[in-house]
Amino acid sequence: NMEAQAEGIRTVFNDPTNFNVKHPLFSSWTLWFDSPLTKNRNLPQTPISAVPQTPLPQTPGVAAAQGWMEDIKRVISFDSVEEFWGLYNNIIPPSQLPQKANYYLFKEGIIPAWEDEANKNGGKWSIQLPKDKNRANVDKMWLYTMLAAIGETFDATLNNSDDTSVPPPSSLITGVIVSTRPQFYRLSIWTRLAPSTSDEDKLRERIETIGRHFKTSVLGYSDSAKLAGPLATEVEFLSHKDSEKKGKAKKIIV
Amino acid sequence: STAKNVPAALPSALATARNIDDLGRVPYPEGVKSPSVELNVNAKDGKFRYDRDFLLQFMSICKEKPDMLPPLDAIGLEPADQSSFSMGRGGSGPGMRR
Repeated sequence: NMEAQAEGIRTVFNDPTNFNVKHPLFSSWTLWFDSPLTKNRNLPQTPISAVPQTPLPQTPGVAAAQGWMEDIKRVISFDSVEEFWGLYNNIIPPSQLPQKANYYLFKEGIIPAWEDEANKNGGKWSIQLPKDKNRANVDKMWLYTMLAAIGETFDATLNNSDDTSVPPPSSLITGVIVSTRPQFYRLSIWTRLAPSTSDEDKLRERIETIGRHFKTSVLGYSDSAKLAGPLATEVEFLSHKDSEKKGKAKKIIV
Repeated sequence: STAKNVPAALPSALATARNIDDLGRVPYPEGVKSPSVELNVNAKDGKFRYDRDFLLQFMSICKEKPDMLPPLDAIGLEPADQSSFSMGRGGSGPGMRR
């Protein structure tokens, strides 16, 4: 430490205006936003719609994603702890968003759509909370959700292994979302993979660990708390493929 | 040091700050909690993981608006009318909202 001080390393804690090092995040992140106000307005275009359309054959999925992304606005990208807080302190918290608005915080290069390569085999943990009872909590819940995402603490399996001969597993998290609706809020965590068959016990366990961490450490509920009620759901996981289907869905609940 | 080459009226230290490459060498001032060591065993290439308590310490310090942040109203990101909130919070009954 003496040596570091001798090298002149200054964090934002040592000198808030003249620091010379910053804390890099595990991944770069992009914040996206949409609300009824962003639709059909002449606003800065998102990267995907800014790309000139070429007549290349497209899968229906990609075309659908482009339609979906048209009204979603890219707010900013960042890759350090310091930049995250500069953004956080200058933007509107979920409790003050208009109805039918969404924040999407996704790893850079992944668009917040099922159709993205990183999402198409995945799913999401989500919880729905009645608005009136949770207006005072939702900002903290969203902040803690973002911090677990950018701090990369949702996925315990990511623990840096002592065995340096095997590459560490890549993170299962692709992004997090908060949605405001007339009667409720919804918080979601999107994952890169979803267990589909019974022989994927290891993945299922890893996904369930993320869900339990979300329920207890991030949202602050006890492990055994029953959360479903009028306008409220449990913390539940659904693969994107099952979300697309109507009818019976195989949910995991923690 | 790099600081000497930088003009005094820099828009932001963020623009010139370099990424930490070894968390163990960072001299945090007394009273500031260091990032969790156990989350960063064998961390490489700035692929650091940070616990919430560590991250929350930045909240009251890093307040500068990012240079790249567009005007929020230009992307339709405007706060809802706050007056409607206070109505809903009080004991005005379910029929009062909207």
